[in-house]
Amino acid sequence: MSRIQLQGLTRRFGAVTAVDDIGLDVADGEFLVLLGPSGCGKSTLLRMIAGLLPPSEGRLWLDDTEITHLPPQRRDVAMVFQSYALYPHLSVARNIGFPLRTRKRPRAEIKAKVAEVAATLGLTDLLDRKPRELSGGQRQRVALGRALVRDPGAFLMDEPLSNLDAKLRAGTRAEIAGLHRRLRATTVYVTHDQVEAMTMATRIALLNEGRLEQLGTPSEVYDAPASVFAATFLGSPAMNVVDTTVRAVDGTLVAEAEGLRLSLGIDADIPDRPVRLGVRPEHLTLTSAGGQGIRAVVTAVENLGSEEVAHCDTGVSVRGPRPLGVVPGEAVTLSARPEHLHLFDHDSGRRLAWQAASVPQPV
Amino acid sequence: MVSGAFVEVAPPVRSREARAAGMPDTVPASPALWQRVRRIAPPYLYLLPAVVLLVVWTYQPLAQTFVLSTYSWNLVPSTPMVDVGLGNYERLLSTPELGRSVWRTVVVILGILPFTVGIPVAVALLTRRVRGRAQGVYRALVFAPMLVAPVAGAAVWQWLLDPSAGAVNRVLGTDVNWLNTAGTAQLSIIVITGWHVVGFAVLVVTAGLAGINPDYAAAAQVDGASRSQVTRWITLPLLSPTLAFLVLMTVLLSAQWTFPLIDTLTQGGPVGSTTNLYYLLWEYGFRSHDAGLAAAAGVLFFLGFIVVAALLTRLAERLSHHDD
Repeated sequence: MSRIQLQGLTRRFGAVTAVDDIGLDVADGEFLVLLGPSGCGKSTLLRMIAGLLPPSEGRLWLDDTEITHLPPQRRDVAMVFQSYALYPHLSVARNIGFPLRTRKRPRAEIKAKVAEVAATLGLTDLLDRKPRELSGGQRQRVALGRALVRDPGAFLMDEPLSNLDAKLRAGTRAEIAGLHRRLRATTVYVTHDQVEAMTMATRIALLNEGRLEQLGTPSEVYDAPASVFAATFLGSPAMNVVDTTVRAVDGTLVAEAEGLRLSLGIDADIPDRPVRLGVRPEHLTLTSAGGQGIRAVVTAVENLGSEEVAHCDTGVSVRGPRPLGVVPGEAVTLSARPEHLHLFDHDSGRRLAWQAASVPQPV
Repeated sequence: MVSGAFVEVAPPVRSREARAAGMPDTVPASPALWQRVRRIAPPYLYLLPAVVLLVVWTYQPLAQTFVLSTYSWNLVPSTPMVDVGLGNYERLLSTPELGRSVWRTVVVILGILPFTVGIPVAVALLTRRVRGRAQGVYRALVFAPMLVAPVAGAAVWQWLLDPSAGAVNRVLGTDVNWLNTAGTAQLSIIVITGWHVVGFAVLVVTAGLAGINPDYAAAAQVDGASRSQVTRWITLPLLSPTLAFLVLMTVLLSAQWTFPLIDTLTQGGPVGSTTNLYYLLWEYGFRSHDAGLAAAAGVLFFLGFIVVAALLTRLAERLSHHDD
């Protein structure tokens, strides 16, 4: 298993920059998820690591070997494609054994290794079938088996679960996570699904328009989003982001806007500053009308089974255990604890952290 | 103490039960015959023009050929047709020309196969990376011979192959009378026919290659396959349905493709060395004016090619991998 390093990796397609100056250091045994909306360059980045696409600029290392200019067959990585790319004319056994066949291993060794991998993945009874005779989930396993059959330096996975139905996806997600725990294999996993990213990753690299938006553990990315983009990409419903002004009132800082007043819990005195205030729907609580907080009128209530989401006229939504006890048309006041408030720069959208001038104070 | 009992919650009412229970039936009573005809007829009406043309131009002549093959007739309308039963077939099967022409047809097919399969695969694989405007120009160049009328092409080739002043002899430094020597006449016919069809075959193979999902080659590369391994183990097997189609086309049609060239360049000669099945059939009918014999030959070839086509189609079916 190996460490993957990316330095200033860039890929341009004509005038479009699909991947823009990405630097990453994927530690040995790490499960790094490249997360982002479609078109953010995550698949392009993965294909460059695989060697299927030459970078326009930048360099790549696998352990201590520079692989920037090596063709894919000489890089020690295995890849699972979104389409699975199972060779349609070969049986399951021959598909799984393909990487060994290209390495001219003896037939007996290939057979033994294929049987071993098939047993791990529960494919033993399917070895003689052709890919077209398999279900979606079985195809996905064969694709996984083909990657597992040799011990590659790293696994690359390009949205491997996106073609499965919801139930199968949850099961396979747990399976891949378990496989990673067992093999401790360096994995780079591309997805646009925040649940996959949150549950499987040791670290998430959040990409937006070809750039690295944030890099951190799932908790870091969720609890301290580095930008408005990161804040609104993760979480469902998305984090509420409101334009406000931070001003000092009676020696403490509050965020204020039309029909909104929330204390930031910081005792300080600064000139007024426009900021974007973020608060997650699950961190808002309903209080009796008239108190301090966000004043809004409920427009719709969604039933999620265990929870309910109330959408308000100001674009703010609240999430909480069912029943929330509000009905559409009701005027409510929403409050949030200071530690659950996120501040972002009004122009750049980057996260703002409070730094006391003399005595350090928590945000 | 309060007494009670558990009562099963009733399932939602199903529509069939609802109808049985006397609720209004939403399906109207069966329509009148005229309405049923109007509902069923449109697809058949759409098919009708094609079917009519097929019957008039294909199936009726075919049936007439079967009938004609049992008569002796010299194509002159005023001469009566004489019913000879299977006489034409007996005569046909006893001529030595038939066997020789079948063999020559096999030679023609084998000779043209490299032009419809071998060369196109090599060219298509080698030029896969040609992109943009160069691709269009290159395709036009390769395809151009297909657009030249066979008879016009044949006339030009006749000059090129001329034994005294022809360019071919000058380039090769030879002194061969290409079209009037038994061995080289057949070779010339094969090569000129190949020159005509190779562009079409390259286009078919290129289309076949473009239809293969590039993920397979990418996956094979990541799996460690070298470029030649990808070609041998992935690309060619996935291309096999296209190749089977080209083989089928060649086997069934190459003798027909040669016809205009033979008729222009050699008229089946010298000493019958370029007389294949189709040319033989044509000679019977329109040189010897033996309509019955020609029809009998036509029927035999028809049946023979049905068998060959059926075998090749089954082979192609087995080769096709439903790519999904």
